[in-house]
This record gives sequence, C-alpha cells and structure tokens, in this order.
Amino acid sequence: MAFTKVTSKVVLAEVRPGREVLARRGAMLASTGDVRFSPVVGGPGAGAYGGGLAASLARGMQGEAVALMVAEGSGSVHYGFRGHHVTVIDLDGSQPLSVEADRLLAHDASMSSSVVFLGQQGGLRGAVRGAVTGQGLFTTQLSGRGSVAVLSHGGTFALRVGGGRQVVVDPQAYVAHVGDLRLDVVTALSWRDAVGRGSGEGVQLKVSGEGTVHVQASEEKL
Amino acid sequence: MAWRLESPRVLVVELDGGKGSAVRAQTGSMVAYEGDVQFKNAGTGGGGGLRAAFKQRLSGESLSLMDITGRGSVHLAVGAGHVLVLDLAGDTLKAESEGLLCLSEGLRTDVAFTGLQGASSGQGLFTTTVSGHGRVALLSLGGPPIALRVGPQTPLVVDPDAYIGCVGELRQSFVTDVSWRNLLGEDSGEAFSLRFEGSGVVYVQPEER
Repeated sequence: MAFTKVTSKVVLAEVRPGREVLARRGAMLASTGDVRFSPVVGGPGAGAYGGGLAASLARGMQGEAVALMVAEGSGSVHYGFRGHHVTVIDLDGSQPLSVEADRLLAHDASMSSSVVFLGQQGGLRGAVRGAVTGQGLFTTQLSGRGSVAVLSHGGTFALRVGGGRQVVVDPQAYVAHVGDLRLDVVTALSWRDAVGRGSGEGVQLKVSGEGTVHVQASEEKL
Repeated sequence: MAWRLESPRVLVVELDGGKGSAVRAQTGSMVAYEGDVQFKNAGTGGGGGLRAAFKQRLSGESLSLMDITGRGSVHLAVGAGHVLVLDLAGDTLKAESEGLLCLSEGLRTDVAFTGLQGASSGQGLFTTTVSGHGRVALLSLGGPPIALRVGPQTPLVVDPDAYIGCVGELRQSFVTDVSWRNLLGEDSGEAFSLRFEGSGVVYVQPEER
C-alpha cells in the first residue's frame, strides 16, 4: 500500500485523505499533486500523530527526537535521505516494530508510535544494551497496520528468529526488529581483547523470542 | 564449503563443523550469526605464521584476521562494500590487506614486495598475497567491482586508489605523469597510476580511497 521502492534509496508514497504519511523533516525529494507538508506541531509525538503528550515528553527529555512532518492532501511523494539505503517493512498490525528514531524515514500516519524505555525490556540489561549499541536508553516503537521505511547504511537483510532459532547480531549492525524479541548484550571478551588481539566481536546482541531482526551490511552508524 | 551472497554486500558462510569449512575473515566483519560459532583472533600475521608476522611488522601491511569455527551460519559485511567472491585453483591473488573480507581454510596469506613504486602510491611497498586452493572474498567500496582483463598486447593502467587486487601472471609498474602543470596546480588529478603487463585480471572498485 503506502510505499513503493523507486530505487534502493528512494521510496514513493501515495498520499490520500485519511492516508497521511509522517516522514522525517526534510526527507521529501519530489512531490506531485496537491500535497501539503506541515511540521508536526508541538514536537514529534504531540497531537493527533505519534503517541500523545507522554511520548512527547519522553522524547524531548531523552533525545529520541527527530523532527517529523506530515504529508496531507492527495498526490504522491518521493522520500529519500542523504543517500542512505531504504528498507520498507510492512506490518500487519499483530506485532510492533522497534527502531531507533533517527533511522526512521517515513511511516503511515495511522500507525501509533511510542517511546519505549529500554529498561522496561529486561531492566538493567536493557539499559546496558542501549548504552552499548549507542541507541541510548529509549527506542521508538510503531504499532498498528501499515508500512514503515527504515534507513540503513548498505541495505538490510532480515533474519527470522523463533522456533528455537537464536540469532546473534553485531550491535553496530542492528537496525530494527519486529515482534516480541528479547535482545541481550553478551560479552565474549577474552584475555586477547585486553592485549589488543581480540577478534573484534567481543560484544554481541543475542536475539531470542519470536520475530524478525533487520541487520545492515555495515557497522557504521547513520 | 557453502558461501552465498545474501545481498551484493553481505556474504553468508555456512559452517558444518567439519574440517575444511572453517574460514578466516577480517576482524570485526561479522554482522550476524546463527548457531554455535566461535570467533578467535587468527594470531600473529593473520594466521600466516611467525615469518608472515615479521614481514608484516616490517612492511606495515597490517592484515588482521579472525578464525571462525563451529557450526552455523555467519553473515559478514564491512562498510557496505560489495562482495566479490573468487575461486583460486593454485594461483595467487594479490590484494590490499584492508580489502580482504574472507578466506577459506587452506589458503595461505603472505606479504610480497611489489617494488619501490609502492612508496608514493599510498598502497605501500608491499602487498598481501593469497595462494592455494580455495575461495576468497574481496571488498569493493562504492559499488560493484569491475574486472579488467590484461593481455600481452593490452597493458592496463589503473588508479592506485581504486585498485583492489589482481590474479595472474602480471608485472606491476608505477607510472608518473608529473609535468610543469602539476607545479602550477593545473594537473589532471591522475599523476600516479599503476600499469599492469602480462596476462591476468585486475579488479577495480568505483570509489577512490
């Protein structure tokens, strides 16, 4: 429905009344038809879009804030950002998507977004994970039916987790996950790391539960 | 030895736990894995032994590899570079050490002297060689790599900053095209280049380092 890939780095969104699209501010490349862009007033997360005052407060406080704009009217819009690769993830509404706010390019405005404190997902371990992955202590969660365009360096691949299948991911290459997944930081450090002869894979994210994890082809941040 | 490309930029190596399926990969190149897999620094000289380590120390051609063993599948990627997989059947690949993503077990790595010309090309005086029977994955930054054939009648000139590696019986020489224009700052930006003669294949990436 909402997003069509034009190239690996550009997506096209059809905007209709009742089918508004929320996107990162400044990510519009071109638009046709009668489309109006307006900043989401009162900061992201306020008002009709994006989860209400509590979410807004949490974002404002914790830096999980990326300025958003809403596209309304009817027409089509091309979105892209700094030449990064775009992955479109469709959600059927049964499972939420967790992603870092600055990797979010665009999503259907009908989806509800909230800011989740990583400490809620496994207490102190969640907080440690946020610190290690450089995500901070908060992450954005999108739920509902719709599609989401996510930015990555070098494109992403999806790995299914569940049914006893456990996946381990490099924290720097982790992009997003869908479903009820548990992410734990595991350290595989040995005396070799202490003397600068480590394998470079000392800190890992162990993913368990049921869902899908999206990983990028690079260890660089956006 | 099951290698496949998940995408042009992601190499997946399946390890069955048996002999011959283990690989050596650039340290830190794992982005995800499943199963029971161990990562261990390949040790001095990228697993090439003490002699290789000594040559590396002298040459500054720093090859940093890790041994990947166990049972499972490992996803490898570095800096969103495109992955080029080559099969070696007893021939020798010359490559820049930072461009090596993964090698199958049984391949030997060493450091070779490429002649004095390397000093000013920024590629160093030395190059890493990979020889034996097996598979090797190279990285190409900026897009898919270009393979250029060199024949006895058709020598090839490449930009040292875009050069990734070469296979075959090739002689490498360094060409300078420095004239009075360079002094005035009106150069073409292609003052130094690598010239290949003989017969073989040279791989070039679309991005200049």
